[in-house]
Amino acid sequence: MLSDEELLREARDGDETAFTALYRRRQGAVYRFALHMSGDAAISEDVTQEVFLALLEGGGRFDPSRGSLLSFLYGIARNRVLRRLEAKRPEELSGEPSSDDDVLEDLTRRETIEAVRSAILSLPTQYREAVVLCDLENASYEDAAAALECPVGTVRSRLSRGRGMLAQKLAAKAVRSLS
Amino acid sequence: MSEDQVLQALRALAESDCEREAPPAVEASLLGEFRERRHSYKWRWIGGAAIAAGAVLAVLLSMNHVARPVVSVLPPVTPVPRAAAPVISSRAPAASTVVRRMARPQAHEVVTEFFPLIDSAPPFERGQMLRVQLPAAAMRTVGLPVGEDHLADPIQADVLVGEEGMPRAIRFVGFDVQ
Repeated sequence: MLSDEELLREARDGDETAFTALYRRRQGAVYRFALHMSGDAAISEDVTQEVFLALLEGGGRFDPSRGSLLSFLYGIARNRVLRRLEAKRPEELSGEPSSDDDVLEDLTRRETIEAVRSAILSLPTQYREAVVLCDLENASYEDAAAALECPVGTVRSRLSRGRGMLAQKLAAKAVRSLS
Repeated sequence: MSEDQVLQALRALAESDCEREAPPAVEASLLGEFRERRHSYKWRWIGGAAIAAGAVLAVLLSMNHVARPVVSVLPPVTPVPRAAAPVISSRAPAASTVVRRMARPQAHEVVTEFFPLIDSAPPFERGQMLRVQLPAAAMRTVGLPVGEDHLADPIQADVLVGEEGMPRAIRFVGFDVQ
């Protein structure tokens, strides 16, 4: 099986099969990253398309010595998502649940998932992207650091802080729900 | 809520969403864009390469109003590792070191080193090789010796054209009589 880098090289030489293979291999990760960061399927579709278009145009800027191709894609996606989130009004972000009807104590699996999704969206961006990359997409600390353009130690500390904030948010929500 | 519980909840979300991906319309749109770009790139390239080759030939033929050149486009070339790359020297090499054998499918083809056609150029990343036919007199323009009796003889040459359309270097091709 060809590596991401080999597929990229062939795609840039005009091989449609290679481009399709690379897209199908990595689009899910890019799409989910954008979705978990924005909470918006339409934004995630746009970002996914833009990331691979950018790869066609600027794939030559990819430097394997600075990280994997996946981290390069995450980096592009991150910039595109942040640009959109900055343009979006704060009240449009679904960072907090719209009602307190959910009761954490006896949450079903689906409710738990939606509660976590909402809590993640309410995290400050720098913690959210660390949690999404490392905990949801299982990116290595090195790949996350390359995508976020920060040292590995910073990724670790943001991840730890992000998890702590999630715990507080979910616990607070449980208390609110029970009261 | 403990960190273990948070991690458990995050795993549940990751599992729940692991199948989520961009809708097929995104792939279709991207492939359409890919084909369009490839098509326009190809024609832009051929046009640029033809113009560049014309420029090279005009320069080389300005000294020799003889045979009309024949141009063919060879497959695109990309840089090879430094150790295997053709030597493009800013100095004309000594005659005794000019000709060397190349391991190519045409077993008896021999080529010269590449001779630069421009003094300063951006780094070569990608390009295309054009096989052209020139009068042997063109070899004199890069300092190679040609007998007076053979100035009008046709000789083949490879012109290396950069992605930006600039002719970078030329080498001359001959055939071993053995």
